[in-house]
Order: sequence, then C-alpha cells, then structure tokens
Amino acid sequence: MQTQTHQHMAGGSASEGIDVDGLERELSSMWAELTREKDGEDSSPSVMRACVLNLILYSQHDDREKIDTLLDEVTVSHPCRSLVLIADRETTEAHLNAYVSTRCQLNARGTKQICGEQVTIEAGGAVVERIASAVAPLLVPDVPVFLWWKDVPNEDDKLFNRLAEMSDRIVVDSASSHHPYEDLRRFSRMIAGRGGDMRASDLNWGRLTSWCAVVAHFWDVPDYRPYLDAIDRVRIDYDPPESAPEEVSAQALLVAGWLASRLGWQVETTGTESRERNKSTLMRAGERVINIEWRALKGVSGCERMISSLTFTSEETGAEFQVRWKQERTKLETSVKIGDEQKVSRVLAYEGRTDGERLSSELGILSRDVVYEQSLAAAAHLIETLRAREK
Amino acid sequence: MNNPLREGMRLARVAEPCVVVIFGASGDLAKRKLLPALYRLVQQRLIPAESAIVGLARTPMNDDEFRALMRSAIDEYNGEERIDEEVWQSFAQGIFYLTSDIKNADDYRKLDELLKRLDRERGTQGNRLFYLSVAPELYRDAVGQLGQAGLTRPEKGWTRVVVEKPFGYDLQSARDLNTFILQHLDESQIYRIDHYLGKETVQNLLVFRFANGIFEPLWNRQYIDHVQVTNAETVGVEARGAYYEKSGVVRDMIQNHVFQVLALMAMEPPAHLGAEAVRDEKVKAMMAARPFTHERVRAETVRGQYGAGAINGEAVPAYREEKNVAPDSRTETFAMLTMYFDNWRWSGVPFFVRSGKRLPKRVTEIAIQFKDAPHQLFDEKTMEQVTPNQLVIRVQPDEGITMRFAAKVPGQTTRIRDVNMDFRYGASFGVELAEAYERLLLDCVLGDSTLFARKDMTERGWEIVMPILEEWSEPHENVSFPNYEAGTWGPQSSHQLIQNTGRRWRRP
Repeated sequence: MQTQTHQHMAGGSASEGIDVDGLERELSSMWAELTREKDGEDSSPSVMRACVLNLILYSQHDDREKIDTLLDEVTVSHPCRSLVLIADRETTEAHLNAYVSTRCQLNARGTKQICGEQVTIEAGGAVVERIASAVAPLLVPDVPVFLWWKDVPNEDDKLFNRLAEMSDRIVVDSASSHHPYEDLRRFSRMIAGRGGDMRASDLNWGRLTSWCAVVAHFWDVPDYRPYLDAIDRVRIDYDPPESAPEEVSAQALLVAGWLASRLGWQVETTGTESRERNKSTLMRAGERVINIEWRALKGVSGCERMISSLTFTSEETGAEFQVRWKQERTKLETSVKIGDEQKVSRVLAYEGRTDGERLSSELGILSRDVVYEQSLAAAAHLIETLRAREK
Repeated sequence: MNNPLREGMRLARVAEPCVVVIFGASGDLAKRKLLPALYRLVQQRLIPAESAIVGLARTPMNDDEFRALMRSAIDEYNGEERIDEEVWQSFAQGIFYLTSDIKNADDYRKLDELLKRLDRERGTQGNRLFYLSVAPELYRDAVGQLGQAGLTRPEKGWTRVVVEKPFGYDLQSARDLNTFILQHLDESQIYRIDHYLGKETVQNLLVFRFANGIFEPLWNRQYIDHVQVTNAETVGVEARGAYYEKSGVVRDMIQNHVFQVLALMAMEPPAHLGAEAVRDEKVKAMMAARPFTHERVRAETVRGQYGAGAINGEAVPAYREEKNVAPDSRTETFAMLTMYFDNWRWSGVPFFVRSGKRLPKRVTEIAIQFKDAPHQLFDEKTMEQVTPNQLVIRVQPDEGITMRFAAKVPGQTTRIRDVNMDFRYGASFGVELAEAYERLLLDCVLGDSTLFARKDMTERGWEIVMPILEEWSEPHENVSFPNYEAGTWGPQSSHQLIQNTGRRWRRP
C-alpha cells in the first residue's frame, strides 16, 4: 500500500521553543482542510483520522527519505502520531524548527482513507537536550508510546533517558551497531539496571525470529527430540561488521545467547579461542561440553552482518541439523542427517521484510520480551568471555 | 518431551507434524478453501513442513496430477499473494493422492499403508486429521470405514475428524448421525466445523465482552432493549438449487451459523477459556431459548422467498426460476425469528433474527439496541434526529464495532444528532484478516476444539428450529410465494412483525 503526505510549516525557534498549542491548531486545520478537499460539504468523510499509538523517532542524521519510507510502511498497519526528532548535536549553533504533516494510506476507491499525523522537530546545538520537554505535551493520551532509537543508546544520554521515561517500549536495531561487543553489553546492562521497567525491542532480534523458529522446529519432531540433548558443537556462520571485523556480529552473538539461555548452557571460563576469522568458546550442560564456533564469512551474498547458516552436530549420535540461507535471503533451507542417513531437506519461505515492516511488527508488542532480555544477557556474558581471552 | 527452544517464542501456536487426509479432495470446498488454507499455514510455518496432505476422491489421478490440481487451486484462490516456486516444490513433496471409493474397505487398507509409510518417512507420528469434505450422506460411510479399518483408534499419536455442515437434516437425523459417529470416535475427536466461528469478529465477541470492564455490566435486560441479528446475502442459490430445495435458509444458515453467533452473544462468562467451559456456556444459553410452539411460529416468525428483482443494478431471476428449483417450490430463502432467552440475564429481551438470500447487501451483524435514557431532559424537537444508543458488531464484511450515541451539533442552539464511534479491524490493526478456514484448520491440528460445535449444541440447534420447520411444512400453510423482491430487505411482514413491538429493523 502506498501513502501520501501533506506538510505544513508550524514554526518554533531556539529562543522561544515550540508553540505546542500552535502545532495542535495547525494539525486541526490541516485535518479540516483535508476533509473538505476530499469530501465536499455534503458527503460523509472519506478520510479517517486514526491514531493507535505515538511513535517517537530519533535520528542524528537528516535522513528524511529513509524516515519517510519507514513511516509510510508503519502507517499502513499502525496509523499513529509520529514525532520525528532530527537532532544535530555536533553544531554549536542552536536552532529549532517544527513541521506538521498528515500521512494517508492510498486505498481502494470507495473506501475510507486511513490517515495518521506527523510532527517533525529539527533541533541543533544546546536545544537538542531540551526537546523532550516539547515531546511530552504532544503525545496523544491513552495510546502507547514507542521510542525508535535506531542506534544502541548510551546510558548517560539525558535526552534518551527523558524520552525513554515517557515511552512504553524502546525499539533499537543492533544490526546498525559499529561495535557489537560494547553496544550489546551496554544495552544488556541498561535493561537489567531498570529491573524490568524498560521494555525493549531489537529489530535484529526480529530478523532472527524465523531462524529461531526453524531451529526450534527441528526438535518439535518427537523422533529428533533426543538429539537436542546430545549436541556438542554449534557452528554459526556470519558476515562480520565492517567497522569491527575482529568482532562477532550482534546477530551471531544473540543467536548463541538464545541457545545458551533456553538450553541452560553455562559458559566455561577456559577453552575460548580466537583465530583470525574464527572464534569459539566452550559451554557446559551438566557433563556435556558444547563447542560454540563463530565463523566469519565475508561477502556471503546479501547477508550483511547477519548469520548465514547454523549447524548443530553431535559426535556421539552422528546427527547433524542445519539451517542456511538459500537464494539471497529469500528462503531458508533445512536439512537433517542422522548417521549416514540424509533425511529430507526442506525449503521454507523467509519473510524478507523491510525495516519499516519489522518496526511495524514490533509496534504490535507491548509486553516484556523476556526471551530477548535473557538472550541478550547471555550474549553479553559470552562477549565478556571472548574479550577476556583476547586480552 | 518438551522442547525448551519453544519457550517464550513469538510464534507459539505451532502444531505437531501430522497428515491431513481430505475426503473429497477434488471437490469445490477443497479447492477453494482447504488447500489454499493449508498452503498458507505451511508457508507461515504454523504447520510443520514434515506434515503431509493426502487427497482422496474417486477421480483417477496420480500424486503428480493431484499436485498440479492443487497448485492451480492455490494459484486461483490464494488471493493476490504470489506462490514461491521453491517453497511450493518443497511443500508439494508432502502431497499425495489415492484414487478411492469412500465405500470400499480395500481403499482404506491402502490408506492405512500410505499413512504408516508417511509416519516412517516424514515423522508424522501417527497424527491424522481426516477432513470430510463430501456430501453429508457419505459421512457415515467415511467414519464407519475408518472405524472398521482401525484408523479411528490409533496406536500412537492423535486422530481427529472434521465434519462439515450440514450436520443432519433435522433433529432425528442429527441425533442418529451423532450416535453413529460416536460408535467409532470419542467426542473429543470430532470437530464439527462452522466457518463463522473462524471469523475474527466472532472470536472478538468473547474478547469484547470478557476482556473489557465496561460492556458486561450493560449486557443484560436492565440496559438492553433488544438485539437484532442480520445475516444477509446478495447471492441466490447459484449452482446449489438441488441442495437448497431440501434445505432452505433455516437449515442452511440459522440452525448453525446464526445460532453459534447468538450463543456467543447471549452466553454467561465461562469459568475459563478451555474448550469445554466455553461450549458449556454456549449450550446453557441455547437451552434457555424459549421453545417455538406452533402458535409462536405463526405469531413470531416470518418466512419468505425471493421473486425476480435486481441486485447492484443487475436483473436477477426469481428463486423458482433458478436451476434445479421446482417452479412451485415452497422452500424459504428468507426467515425472521423472534427469540427470547428465558433466564435472569435476558428475560423479556427480544432477539430479532433474520437471514436471507438476495437481500440488498452482503452483511452479517449483531446490533444491540440500548434502552432510552430513563428521563429525557431535552425537548422532542431537539431530540428528533436522535435514536437510542446502539452497539453494532459487524461480522462481515468490513469487520468491526460501532457505537452510536447522541452528541450536540456545534452552534448557538442545542441540537442533538447521532454520531458513530468506529472500530474497524482494517484501520486499527492494518492486517489482512486470516481466512476462517486457516484459523479453524490450525485449531484442529492443535487440538483446540473451542470454536467447533459440540454434539449437544448441534442437537439443541435442531430442537429449537424443528417446530418452525414442521409448521412451515404443513399443507394448510398458505403463505404466498414469492413474497419479496430480490434486492429488498425481505417480506413486508418481517418489517410489520418488528414494528408491532414498537421497534424497527436497522438498515445495515
């Protein structure tokens, strides 16, 4: 579904701040105008103003095109009031501008157009630290507040902390992390430090959902279930982050954290190895030792910073379970081998979603994602082991 | 053995691998609904890829020919979604076909052999779902033969049987069918499907009533004046003339679909959301439905049959001119019933129910009309455009809920007008609603029978309508058919009947 937008300038200045009442008035007149344009005087309205949530988007870069694309996709499933904060923290020149706009789904003829609304605030210099005070009165009451803060935030970022306080859920994307080791550990600390008060989503975790579901499904089959308790090696192939090629990617760490937290595997303090592109660590489940191996495969087509295959083997039983990309991230292929017997392999659809679509699915979740939090905590623990070894 | 990796996963409702056996696999229902729904479930990984589909029908075909038939059905009925070739190929490896006669015991032995082979090759563990997508007169043959072949009492895994409507032709035949089926299966293995219960808004009735604190206190005779249930179709009998001649709208729609919706509307809160608790309450509500005596049938029901008319500007023929319909047919294509639930909650509240073909608009809705404010402060002129508060639950199409209340028209004088507060699934969730069959098939393989009719519910449905069917079949009955024009809201007498109570039908 496509969307269309109408935009009005609504003022604001670094010295006087934003006229919040003026913004609301401007929005109201835009709606009135939009309804008149579309309907004329006598017909019933063909435009429906809808708001199922507030979405605060924070960006340090003036990447409006990307934000527009993202919001177009979000509006399709979540018509909302979006508050876009474009912050220039580098400049010393204080400035503040605000715009309002509506964002409508282009729909089939004869049906109502569902529209959301947007307030864009551009701020630079010292004003940035104050814009949270303009956001609070602009939030629509009685519907949840989501904060999209793409980069993993800093614990001592005042603006983030103010916005997080007024939000029901924070959404980040750890795939954009330039230093996964540091960022994942910090985010894990932030969530743990707030004792369950900070509900968080990670688009990168959303990208893993299909992988996790396919992996879990191996052991839904009762015949295969006993092999899960005999796994002694897990190999995770991934595309390393360009900014820190020596680090395992955030997604490859999260998937290992998920396995460890679900299966109760404990990190062994000895046995971690790091050899150029390959890293490994030992984990323990009772008497059984499991070798987790990350293999950096640069240039696997279309798999930027993502995992490209997961292989589970058991020397004792001769079983091998594997999931891997097929055809440039559009499908997943699974295979099972027990001893010498190759079981039927399957090709499954992988919902190759855009960031906007992924953000949309996160906006449907309000509760704590305990599995994510535990996986993140386990990944942070694995990072500590990897780093300790490297030192 | 539990799977720890499943714990807390976002896609929690994933079934065990199983074999879905479709009787009547070359038929219309299988092509239009079942096969596309199964494909979508596998594609969404809600049914594991190890699962298999076995088609059974008399048409001679091999596996590949059946796969090609299935593929073309999915292409045609899967909506706009494109089929992924490789995913299809992988899915198609699990599709099989047996040319078989539903009455032939030898064919069930072949089926048994195939199912055992699939258990070995695909790890389906003895889990089987038999879907009876065949003419109702063949239900006994299918279940009886499955029982004789030992396929209803598996050594391992689960066996479930889905039975399509109509479940019986009248009370006695429904009881006989239940008795017969229960000789071979436990009640817990029988899934009597009613696709209305797979619709999102119908399921939302439970959520709307029992997850919100504000509606349930109003949900009784104290505040509700009456309830209107409208189930309208624009289509005629199309190719189903022969079936419809023996059926009519009461058997075809009211006794099953409409009563299911009515039961959810009228039931008490269940103790929990388990299948038996919900179904107990639904049956309890229907047990309170006031019986139709022959006098009540004459005074509080209306039947009709459409004559020629127009739908959406297109001229359409009368029912009696449809294919396979007798020129002097007495079959009703429209019915209106005035129902009462004689219990503490609903005593004295009429439920007006109407269902019909060739009505102006395709719509199914429940409209709950509240009582007037106890004392009116505003004068008659101010209130002239105001009608009582109404809550409308739209089941199809454009699923949603609308609340109507009075508001002041902006201006210097006090004028009051009705306004609507709308909830539309499309606007609030922006997602394509799943096909009813998709949800219900998934429930079957998950073993959740909440949305399926239990033996006592089907029989109670028949008990309620039997006096109506008997009275209407009496030779002395001399209603003149046709008595409504296609494209209108049924016979004038249906408007008269509700007006006699001081109310009027809402225009959906």
